[in-house]
This record gives sequence, structure tokens and C-alpha cells, in this order.
Amino acid sequence: MTNYIIKRIIRGIITLLIAVSVTFLILRFMPGDPTTIMLDPRMNEAARARLLKEFGLDKSLIVQYFLYIRQLLKGDLGYSFIYRTPVTQVILSRLPWTLLLMGLTQVVTMLIGIPLGVIAGYRKGTLLDHLINAFTIFGISVFIPWLGITLLYFFGYRIPIFPIGGAYTPGVEGITYLKDVFMHLVLPVLTLTLIYLANYVLYMRASMVDVLSEDYIRTARSKGVTENTVVWKHAVRNALIPTVTMAGLLLGRMVSGAVLTETIFSFPGVGRMIYEAVGQQDFPVLQGAFLILAISVIAMNILTDLIYAYLDPRVQLN
Amino acid sequence: METDKHKNENKNREHETLLQVFIRSFFRNKLGVIGLIGVIIIILVALLAPYIVEPVSGYGDFENILNPPSQAHPFGTDDMGLDIFSQVIWGTRTSLQVGFLTVLIALVIGVPIGLISGYFDNFLATIGMGLTDVFLTLPVLPLMIIMAAVIGSDIKNIALVIGLFSWPKLARITRASTLSVRNMEYITAAEGLGASNFKILYKHVLPNVSAPILVNMTIIIATAILSEAGLSFLGLGDPLTWSWGKILENAHQSGAFLSAWWYSLFPSLAIMFFVVSFNFIGMGIREALNPKLRQR
Repeated sequence: MTNYIIKRIIRGIITLLIAVSVTFLILRFMPGDPTTIMLDPRMNEAARARLLKEFGLDKSLIVQYFLYIRQLLKGDLGYSFIYRTPVTQVILSRLPWTLLLMGLTQVVTMLIGIPLGVIAGYRKGTLLDHLINAFTIFGISVFIPWLGITLLYFFGYRIPIFPIGGAYTPGVEGITYLKDVFMHLVLPVLTLTLIYLANYVLYMRASMVDVLSEDYIRTARSKGVTENTVVWKHAVRNALIPTVTMAGLLLGRMVSGAVLTETIFSFPGVGRMIYEAVGQQDFPVLQGAFLILAISVIAMNILTDLIYAYLDPRVQLN
Repeated sequence: METDKHKNENKNREHETLLQVFIRSFFRNKLGVIGLIGVIIIILVALLAPYIVEPVSGYGDFENILNPPSQAHPFGTDDMGLDIFSQVIWGTRTSLQVGFLTVLIALVIGVPIGLISGYFDNFLATIGMGLTDVFLTLPVLPLMIIMAAVIGSDIKNIALVIGLFSWPKLARITRASTLSVRNMEYITAAEGLGASNFKILYKHVLPNVSAPILVNMTIIIATAILSEAGLSFLGLGDPLTWSWGKILENAHQSGAFLSAWWYSLFPSLAIMFFVVSFNFIGMGIREALNPKLRQR
């Protein structure tokens, strides 16, 4: 198991290194002077020359690459043009909101998606199965901002049950604060859940169909175990194992959804910040946001893989 | 593929080519046919846009701001008084262009990587597989945003950006299919006869992995449209073309979506129609190609 953990962490580091290299390539190999991209255009010439030297932009590309990595290792992502503060600081103050949004969505999609998938798989070919399938096709086809806008229109504007944006009401404290944050989270989480639910449903359904045709299920049935126990205990337990890998894969994709959803709901996370940075051409923030989101996703992927290894003893043998 | 052999053996109708078998089974699948009709409609709308409605131009019509759907404006007008119907119709061209360019780029990168990493067992294969896995885990939208922001929002650039990050899915599916034919007897036979690796990959492996590639191409087109709309929505669209994502961005930025339901509804329906059509075609092809799923 220790070996597996070490291997997994090394793979995570390699993934991160590739992510870093890709951003380096994008920012340095594009038409135009990289300095115009990474430095504030409103800066005077002397300050600009000093910064160029400081960042080593007068040196060869290879040297620049290592300087870039060294700089990142120190946690230095540069200065934001808009906020006039270190990018790392700005992003880390926003990150908890995004992690909260994505974490909650992950939990809710699992809690709803897995049982739906089990039912669809168990009742394969019935009307219920078709209904669940139609619903999941809707999920993979709908444009996230529209779903957000629609929910906002109905439940924030027409029937104002939920707030129409932000993550909290300024000035509210204590228990009311928790309740307030919860109310702000409902619509964004619902939006993301409706989109990503399909993944769990389809995966769990396929997995159930496979497992239910296995011998040990027939054995359990012929032993006289009740149908409920067969499905929800014997079958689901094994069908769940491959679904755990889905959780990891989904994280990277969920970031895209989070960016769009946070934009709609003016949610103060990293996603909304990316949207604002696009408008302001704030490249240090864009780059920093990507790298920090990548680190979060990689870390959570390692975690899901470890859980997977724990659940499925076969992984440890390899 | 073995299934092809089965098809030949079980064939009651003689003189029927595999293509005919495929077409016949495709047309038996309702979803696939619906998808095909949808895609034909989309292509026709894109081609015939100049004959359907004039493109919007100018600074708008301030007499007719946010008018609900009417005879003159079937989809209503936006916060500048511009006709939304026209924007949606002309947006079809953008979406279709982006979809096809993206899938082309994804094919050029993804298929060779998939073939190599599935067929060989060497350093190159490991790298190909590793890269695929990395790009499947990384959050690609922020990466696309950085790149689009750097290289500028020309429509071709947008397609390039989306294509550069759409190939991993294709590479993975190609690799999986290559692995499954890798050890079949006819490949071993070709190797024994001294065929070069390139020839084996090109003439023997590729034709047999093309079915899953075809299915995934439709899905990549569908996803590309959602990505293009997403980038446009975040303000990274081509300012000189009409795009469904951009209409939604305008609706959101002006705040008009709360009072004018038609502003966001119609472009969104267009996106959904597009995505569902391509997904359905994919499902139809998959079922038509899979003898286990095919309804005879």
C-alpha cells in the first residue's frame, strides 16, 4: 500500500509538472512579447526593465523555464494587475468557496445519482429506466449558463425563495450566517447537480447491469436472500467500486461547470474571479487560477484513487 | 473485426455490402434518425442563412428594445433592439464551423496518439498514454481561457483552442480499440508476412477502430459547441461573428434575462438542439455498428 501511495503521488507531481509546462508554453510561445502579457501595461519603462531582469525574461527559454518553476515552487504566482496584491493571496482567499461548491455538488450528485443508477440498472428496459435515461441526456446536452439563468429567473426572481447572487449577505453572523450561506448555495449546487448527475447515473447503471448478471448474485437469490438485500447489499457494493473512479474524473470537468455557474450567480469563488480576470486581461490571475485549480484537482484525484485502492483489494496486488 | 465476419455469415440478404447493412440498421434506430434529421436541419440553416433572414447590423433600434416575440421579430429583440432570431440563425454558422474544425484537430492529434499507445509497447506509447491521462484529469476550461485570451478571439483560434484540448477522449477510445485488435490473428499474420508497422496501423488497425472513432467524433462536436458557447459567454468569443454563447453573455451582462425570458431561451434552445442532435447521431451509429445492440 505504501508503494502504491508513493507511486500515485509521483504521478500527481508529473501531472502537475505537465500542467506547469503547458502554461509556460502558452504564455511564452504566443505571438507578441511575453512581457506585454505578464506585466502591467500601465507600468513605466524603468520599472518594466527592472521587472524583466527580475523575472529573467532577458535569458534563454530553458533558463526562463527553470526560473519559472523555481518561482512557482516558492508559491510566487506574480502580481495581479487589478488587485495589486500577490496572485497567490487573492486566489487562496477565494478557493474555499469554490471547493465548498464543488464538494457539496460532488456529495449531492453521488447521493442522488447512485441510487438512480441502481434503479435504472435493476429495472433495465422499463419505462422508469427510459425516463432516467432521457433525463441524463438532458443533463449532458444543456448549456450550464442557461440552466443557471433559468433557475435564477424562477426561484430567485419570479418566486423569490433564494437570493439571486453572491455567497452570503454582508453583516450577518452566527447561526444565521450558516443558514444564509446555505440559502445562497442551493441554486448553484442545484445547477451543477443537474448537469453532472448523468455521469453517476450512467456509470452506476452500466456497472449494475454487469454485476447483476454475475454468478454470486444468482447464488444469493437461490439461497433465498430477499431481492432487496441482493440488489442493495450484494450487487451495489461491487457496482460502487468502479463508480469511485468516476468521482475523480468528474472533478476536472466540474471545474468548467463551476467557472460558468459562479459567473452566473456572482459567487465569490475562483471561477467568478477567472471571469473577471478575462474582462480585465489579468493574465497572472488567469494563470494562477488554473494552476491552483489543477493542484486541487490532482490532490483530490490522488485521494479518490487511494479510497479506490482501499475498497478494491485487487488494486493493491498489482 | 470479428463482428464484421459474423455479419457476413449471418447475412440472409446476399449481395448486400457492409455499408448497406450499416445504413439499414442505422435507419431502424429512432434516435439516430432523429439526430440525423436534426443535423441536416442545422446544416441547411447554416448554408441558407442569407436566404432566411438578414444579418443584424448597426447599433440597434432603440425604439424596439427588449420586445417580446412578435411577427416582425419571432424570437423578440435584445437590449439594443436587435433581432434575436437573426442572431440565432447566423450563430448556427459559427457553431458548425467550430464543431467541424475542432473535430478535425482532435482527429489529427488524438488518433495517432491512440494508435501508437495502443499498438506499441515502448517509451513513445507510455508518453502518449501518460499525456492522455494528464489532459483527462486537468481542468481544461481554465486552460482554454488562458490560451484564448492570449491568442485572441478569432473564430479559427477558438476552434484551435478547443481542438487542442478535445483530443484526449479520442486518443483514449482509439487506444482501447487498438488494444482489443492488437493481438488478433490477422494482425499477427500481417506481421509475419513482414508488413511494416505503419502499413499495419494504417491498413489493418485503423479501419477496424474507425467505428468507435466515428461515434466519438459526434460527441466531440457536441462538446465543442458547449465549449465555444462557454468561452463566448465568458467574453472570449469572436467579436465579429454571431454566436449563441455571446447572445447569452449579452443577456446576462445587461441583466435583461430577468425581465426578458426570450433573450436567453432561444439561443439556449438552439444550443440544446445542436448538442442533442449530434449526441443522438452518435448513439444511432453506435447501435448500428454493434451487432449485440442492433435490432434486426
